[in-house]
Amino acid sequence: MITQLRIEFLKLIRSKGFYLSFVALSAFVLLMLWGFYSYAQEKTSGLAGEQFKYTYESKSYFNGLTFTLYSLIFAFSLVIPIFVAMNAGSQIAGERRTGTLRMMCIRPVSRVVIVVSKFLVVAIHAYLLMAFFIGLNLMIGLLFVGWGNLELYPGPLNLVDEPGTILRKEAVWRFFYASFSGTWALLVIAAVANLFSVLFENPVTAVAATLAVYLTLYIVGRIEFFVNLSPYFFTTNMDFWRDVLKPQIPWASFNYQAATCGAYIFGLLLLSIVIFERKDVTN
Amino acid sequence: MWWKTVVGLLFVSMLVGAFFLRPARDRSGLDGSGKQHEADRRLRLMTWNIGHGNLESDTRAHSEDFPAVAELILRHDPDAVAIQELTGPDQLNRLLGLLQDRYHGFAGSNGSSDRVTAVLVRVRPGKNFLPQFASVPAGDKFAAAATFLWTRELPEIVFISAHADASKASRRRTFVSDLIDWKRQKTSGKTMLIAADLNFEVSTQKQAGLFTDSAKHDSESYTSLLKHFSDLGRDAGATAVNARRIDYVFGPLGALATRAEVLRGAAIGRMDHWPLLVEITF
Repeated sequence: MITQLRIEFLKLIRSKGFYLSFVALSAFVLLMLWGFYSYAQEKTSGLAGEQFKYTYESKSYFNGLTFTLYSLIFAFSLVIPIFVAMNAGSQIAGERRTGTLRMMCIRPVSRVVIVVSKFLVVAIHAYLLMAFFIGLNLMIGLLFVGWGNLELYPGPLNLVDEPGTILRKEAVWRFFYASFSGTWALLVIAAVANLFSVLFENPVTAVAATLAVYLTLYIVGRIEFFVNLSPYFFTTNMDFWRDVLKPQIPWASFNYQAATCGAYIFGLLLLSIVIFERKDVTN
Repeated sequence: MWWKTVVGLLFVSMLVGAFFLRPARDRSGLDGSGKQHEADRRLRLMTWNIGHGNLESDTRAHSEDFPAVAELILRHDPDAVAIQELTGPDQLNRLLGLLQDRYHGFAGSNGSSDRVTAVLVRVRPGKNFLPQFASVPAGDKFAAAATFLWTRELPEIVFISAHADASKASRRRTFVSDLIDWKRQKTSGKTMLIAADLNFEVSTQKQAGLFTDSAKHDSESYTSLLKHFSDLGRDAGATAVNARRIDYVFGPLGALATRAEVLRGAAIGRMDHWPLLVEITF
C-alpha cells in the first residue's frame, strides 16, 4: 500500500495539472485582492455614507482576515471543487485512457489498493489546495490589506445570525481548522469524481459529469422552488466546513454534517471499489 | 479484502454517527410553559401580513378572509397585533367589528402606496390604558404606531406595525434607518417594539448565495436594528412560503421571548405569510 501510495504521489507531483491548480488559485487570489481593495476604497471614501446613515463597513472592518474569509468562501464554492474534480476524475479513467490501467491491474497489487491509494492522493491534493489557498490569502491580506479582528455580520455569507467578532489570533486558528473541515467537505466531490472515473472510459466525461452534478445541486439548492429538497443534497451538507469560522462553533450540527459527508465519502468509495473489482479492463 | 473492510466499516460508522448526531431543535424556553406567573408583566404580540401571494391579481388583504383572521386573533388573544397589507381604514373597521370591539385599531397613512399597515391594541378598562396612535414616516412609506400603558409599573410601550419594500433592498435599508431615527427622536423613556414584514432574509438556515448589493443592504438593515433591538422571533423559523423568515418582532435590547411561534397552517386563502406570535415578559 505504501509503495503504491508513493507511486501515485509521484505521478501527482509530476503532472502539469497539479501545478496548474496552484497557479489558478494564485490568480484567483489576485483577482479577489483587486475586487476587495476597490470595494473597500469605494465604501470608505465617504460617498457611501451620503446615501445611507448607518453602516458597519469601516477601515477596521476591511482587513486581511475579512479578505481571507470572503476569498475562501467564494473560491470554495466556485474554484477549488473544479481542481479536486479534475484530479479525482482523471485517476482511474486517465489510466484507462493512456492504456496503463491494464498494466497496473496485472501487477501483484489488489484493485482495492489501487482505488484507495488513488483516493488518498486526491485527499492529499485537496488538503494542499486548501492549506495553500488559506496561507496565501492570509499572507497577501496581511501585506496589502492590513490586520485586525474578524468581524462577522448576518447577511451576505449567511454565516452568522447576529453580529460577532473573532479576535485575530483566534481567527488565524479558525482558518487552520477550516483547512481540515474544507478538505473533508471537498472529499465528497472527490468521491463522486472517483466513482465516475471508475464508471466512464474517458476522464473528461468523468470530470464533466462530476461538475455537472455538483453545480446542478449547488444551484438548485439555492432556488426557492426546491427549498424542501435542498436538505437532501450533499452540497447542503458540505456547507458544514464554514461552521469553524463562526464565533461559536455549533458542534452538534458540525458533527452531524461532517458524519453525513463521511457517509457520502466512504459509501461512494466503497461503491467505486466494488464496481472496479468487477470491471473487465480490456483496453 | 482488508482495505475493503476498513472502508466499509468507516462507511457504516459515519452512517451510524450521522444518525445519532442529528441535532434536535432546542426550543426550550420558547413554548410559554411554566411562565404563567407575572402574567400582568407579560405581553403577547402578533404580526401578520394578511395580503395574498404574488400570483394573485390583487395582493392586498381580501375582506372575505377576515372572519377567519378575526377568529384566529380571538383564539390566540394577543395583546397587540400588527397587520400589514390592508387596503385602508374601511377594511380595518370591518376587522375591528369582527373582533367584537375587543381591540382598538389604527391604520397608518398610505402615502403613495395602495396598502396600509395597522395596529390593534386590546381594550383594557380605564382611561389610562387608552392607546394613542400615529403614522410614522419611514422611507417612502408609513408605519402605524400605538403608544399605550400596559401596567403602571412599566414605561409606556410604543408598538409599531411596518411593512418594508418587497423589491428593493436599498429602500428597505432607508426604511429601517428612518425607523431607528424615529425611535431615537420620539421614544425616549419608552419601550419600543417593532412587528413587521421587513422582507429581508439573513438567516443562516438559507444557503449562502454570492455577495450581492441586495444581500449587503439587508445585512446592514438587520445589523442596524440589532444595535437597538433584540430579534424576538429568531428561533421561530420561517414565516412565509418557500421557507422565508421575513416577518420579525423586535423588542428592547436584552429582552427574551418566553414564546416565539409561527402559526403554520393559519394562512387563509392565498395568503403567503403565517402569523408570528411572540410573548415577552418584562
